[in-house]
Amino acid sequence: MFKKNKIYWFEGVTEKGVKSLLTDENSKYRWLRSQRNRRILVVLMALGTAFVAAGSYWPTLKTNLNLSDGAEVVIYSVTAIFAIFAILMGYLFLRISVRGIADAPDELLDERQIKIRDTSFRYAYYGFGYIVLVLLLLMNIGPEVKLFQPEGNDGSYLIISMMFLCAALPSMILAWRERDI
Amino acid sequence: MLFAMSRNPEEPVYNRIEAARTALGLSRQELADKVGVHYQTVGYLEREEYSPSLVLALRIAKALNQEVSELFSQTPFKKGK
Repeated sequence: MFKKNKIYWFEGVTEKGVKSLLTDENSKYRWLRSQRNRRILVVLMALGTAFVAAGSYWPTLKTNLNLSDGAEVVIYSVTAIFAIFAILMGYLFLRISVRGIADAPDELLDERQIKIRDTSFRYAYYGFGYIVLVLLLLMNIGPEVKLFQPEGNDGSYLIISMMFLCAALPSMILAWRERDI
Repeated sequence: MLFAMSRNPEEPVYNRIEAARTALGLSRQELADKVGVHYQTVGYLEREEYSPSLVLALRIAKALNQEVSELFSQTPFKKGK
């Protein structure tokens, strides 16, 4: 008998997807679950996010390589797409490494998992708050660093990385803190 | 510090889950299935790194045919008891 796969829209997960991660159904990702590998992934994700956030400040290639404007735009765009794709892939691996606990609804978790998920969200809230505070301060001194200025950073890369960070930070904290996942 | 905060600031709760489980010949997975938790949660409980709620403690005691007071204590159990 076909059992309906419940979709949790708010959390962005499916019942089967979470259960599959929780029950070790797919053993080919087991190597991701050691704390050392999870922490390496978190560091790579943090560096990748910072790289994307600084997108508008990436050094121009034109003067160094004698490129035309068109070639520079192509290289710049391809680099940006690759960087964003890389952190999205990293995010998928991160979700697998923490068994999707950070994104799972209460009814699919046990009481300890709910507790560590909620703790991760609490720390993520603090962390995200500090980052937003720093960005607001940077906006205040915007003219000096050309933040959100038409001729400098238009903010698009920053918004992409902040959206990513908002979604990934609880999983990153969970991946960093927990000994066994 | 964000990453150096105490994991379990409450008083430790000692238990004899592992002894009772092995006496019954149950694996962690089997006990986890009986009480409705993940098998790693059983591991955390046995290592006394996580203190269960009263409801979970009652479920574990029932699954292991023991009284809650025989399985859990706020003082360490004596060896062989």
